[in-house]
Amino acid sequence: MDASNPIATAGRAPTASRVRSGRRIADRVLILASTIATLLGIIVLGSILLMLIVEGVKGFTPALFTAPTPGPGSEGGGIANAILGSLIMTLLGILIATPVGLMAGTFLAEYGRTSKLADIIRFLNDVLLSAPSILIGLFVYTLMVRPMGTYSGWAGAVALAIIATPVIVRTTEDMLRLVPGPMREAGAALGAPRSLVIRAVTWRAASAGIVTGIILALARIAGETAPLLFTALNNNSWFNANLLGGVPNLPVMIYQFALSPYPNWQSLAWSGALLITVTILALSVVARFVIKDQRAR
Amino acid sequence: MTALTQTLTVARESAVARIAPSKTGDRLFQGAAYASALFVLMVLAGILGSIIYGAWPAFSEFGFGFLTSSAWNIGTEQFGALPAVIGTVAAAMLALLIGVPISLGIAVYLTQLCPGWARKPVAMTIELLASVPSIIYGMWGLFVFAPLFARFVQVPVSNLVEGLPIVGTILYARIPSGVGVLTAGIILAIMIVPFVASITRDMLDQIPTVLRESAYGIGCTTWEVVRHVLVPQASVSIIGAIMLGLGRALGETMAVTFVIGNANRLSASIFDPGSTIASRIANEFNEADGLQLSSLMALGCLLFIITFVVLIIARLLVRRTKVA
Amino acid sequence: MSASPAIRSQFEGRSPADVKAPVRIAVKNLNFYYGSFHGLKDINLDFRDRQVTALIGPSGCGKSTLLRTFNRIYSLYPEQRAEGEILLDGQNVLDSKIDLNELRSRVGMVFQKPTPFPMSIYDNVAFGLRLYEKLPKSELDGRVEESLRKAALWDEVKDKLKQSGTGLSGGQQQRLCIARTVAQRPEVILFDEPTSALDPISTGRIEELIEQLRAEFTIVIVTHNMQQAARISQFTAFMYLGELIEFDATTKIFMNPAKRQTQDYITGRFG
Repeated sequence: MDASNPIATAGRAPTASRVRSGRRIADRVLILASTIATLLGIIVLGSILLMLIVEGVKGFTPALFTAPTPGPGSEGGGIANAILGSLIMTLLGILIATPVGLMAGTFLAEYGRTSKLADIIRFLNDVLLSAPSILIGLFVYTLMVRPMGTYSGWAGAVALAIIATPVIVRTTEDMLRLVPGPMREAGAALGAPRSLVIRAVTWRAASAGIVTGIILALARIAGETAPLLFTALNNNSWFNANLLGGVPNLPVMIYQFALSPYPNWQSLAWSGALLITVTILALSVVARFVIKDQRAR
Repeated sequence: MTALTQTLTVARESAVARIAPSKTGDRLFQGAAYASALFVLMVLAGILGSIIYGAWPAFSEFGFGFLTSSAWNIGTEQFGALPAVIGTVAAAMLALLIGVPISLGIAVYLTQLCPGWARKPVAMTIELLASVPSIIYGMWGLFVFAPLFARFVQVPVSNLVEGLPIVGTILYARIPSGVGVLTAGIILAIMIVPFVASITRDMLDQIPTVLRESAYGIGCTTWEVVRHVLVPQASVSIIGAIMLGLGRALGETMAVTFVIGNANRLSASIFDPGSTIASRIANEFNEADGLQLSSLMALGCLLFIITFVVLIIARLLVRRTKVA
Repeated sequence: MSASPAIRSQFEGRSPADVKAPVRIAVKNLNFYYGSFHGLKDINLDFRDRQVTALIGPSGCGKSTLLRTFNRIYSLYPEQRAEGEILLDGQNVLDSKIDLNELRSRVGMVFQKPTPFPMSIYDNVAFGLRLYEKLPKSELDGRVEESLRKAALWDEVKDKLKQSGTGLSGGQQQRLCIARTVAQRPEVILFDEPTSALDPISTGRIEELIEQLRAEFTIVIVTHNMQQAARISQFTAFMYLGELIEFDATTKIFMNPAKRQTQDYITGRFG
């Protein structure tokens, strides 16, 4: 715009205008590069979703949700056993992680606060939050699979719970810290014991945020594959009710089937991938709206 | 004396029969909170302990040579960590090289350039990239990206550099299948972008508007504002964010297992297949036994050390600025 | 030095300070520390039954700190401590053996910003009641209604008791907090700048309410608004830099203060 303005360019020394154009080029390059970077991100997400839909939708038949996974090379079948196994292990994982995470987050925000111990735990929890999940798989393998002598759904659930816990700890603490201090003082000023103030007042005030943390944790563990490889593994039939032996689950099923040479297995892997991705993205979107609601309060 | 009796009568008049709630529940609750917090510590200690326990036979058999050996022979029970460690570091470094500029670009776009109405949807799209399970990235990398990459990058580049010194080695694909260390690096780059971009964006957002406006006010271009005002202000936490991305890239398993080619040997070309610690564990663990299993645990132990050092540095950097 | 007719007229028709009323709270040689900072220095002061005592002074003078010792709410923060004696009906509340929760049910507190709990209006008021008294439902209903009436809120909320307390206006929220405090039938009610976050109309209603509550409760109010102190209190304590400068009947403090600093403060020369 400035370049076409005669007043702006007229009467400037040549060096000055060269500096100007250098500045402008740097600016243009930045704007262009950052726009391209953002477009790239959007294109990747779009292309992933497109791939899943193109390859996965055709496998969406009633059998997908009712039949167990077929044997190698055979036709038909579905992924019902993997869906059920994943549901059970994910929910068990969240059931274990929620009380622990909630209470640990409460400790950090309400009891430990600025103490040395709380600082250390907060820090290590953040580290655990981004720890490689495969290491957690190795841990649970040594802790449960080896002593028990068998892969089990329980081991899978424990591995998932360990991954979910730091997420819940972190969001619970963050959300409790958003509750204004006078709210706690008002509870204490009525003579309520501390635990009651926490349960009846602060938890309630932060409830939307805490629920978000649990949903985010759910989204995080629903697609975890690596830790299940060594704990729950997989099998191609229905599993027994005591969850011992391999328990089929979507992520490991997808891994094994996608890399198999059988077209039927590959197709089932795509359908499973679409199902799991859509579920997780939906959970993430829901969580974002709940958290916005909490922050707005 | 009379004043005292007087006060006491008043007290009796308005006193309410009060039953104090029990203290036991209060103590139990606090104890449960404390125990849960300690649980986090125990898990971390447990991870380290169990891996060292599992890795011990390999460490005592191979000693320090485990780190420098590139053997991986199940028949002769000779195992070394070098190819996997180099593969891990190489893929993660490539991921940073590619992912960091993209992340910074996205953060700048979101905070400086994006029109207001588009900010939230665009930011959300980028953040959703973080929710996509890693196995899906693996499938996308193997089935969508790798064929394109082989056809439009590996083949032309290999033809171009064939016979040239150095680049002819690093950028030559013996079998242009699309999978390899560079492909893994690119997929990892995409996976760390949402994390690095969103932390960087938060940091840039925290910089007071006054500072930004005063820079624009003296006639700075967007580039100059970013380069001279925003980046110096946020540099420590941006480095922290990058380290956090590095921590993720080092330990990422499934996506890498799909696209790295899982070769046990060391190759000088980044177009060639390789393996990382995590991909090797994922590939072999379930069939492994004896010394091989222990060697895989030892690899896990190395991964633990590398990632935790990186993550601890990252968290220290990110935290320090958040408090300030 | 005597007060202007404008100030003098404020006190016409007001209930005078009852210097013979029994002492409810007696503060003796009270010192208070935030870590190493000496926040209150040797405070000696008596608060009389069914009187409103205002604590005034510039920001940071320690008036809120003093208020927060009476129900030991400061004990929530481990770095804060008090030394000396505060006798509530002859019992030292600073005694380490005292049951803090029971103390706080006897000494109610209303905060600067309204603090309705995230629960229904009914549950907000019943919250404190349920803690210490096991009442049958009908009696509980009665106490909730009585408390809301005392807080002049009943008519506005009687049809929406099940709705959330956080949905009320700022002034209503503050009256809800007063109802919640009153419901416990405390002996003393502490107000910590209860109107500083409210508009003038809501402020007026709260002031009227405090005047009515005086019939039943001993009231201590911290305020940075001198007109408010003059309007609603019988006794006024002026504090400065952690020390009690002057304490007397409100009329005396405002019309004929004994100390130079008090005079300067109430005439707006500093603070």
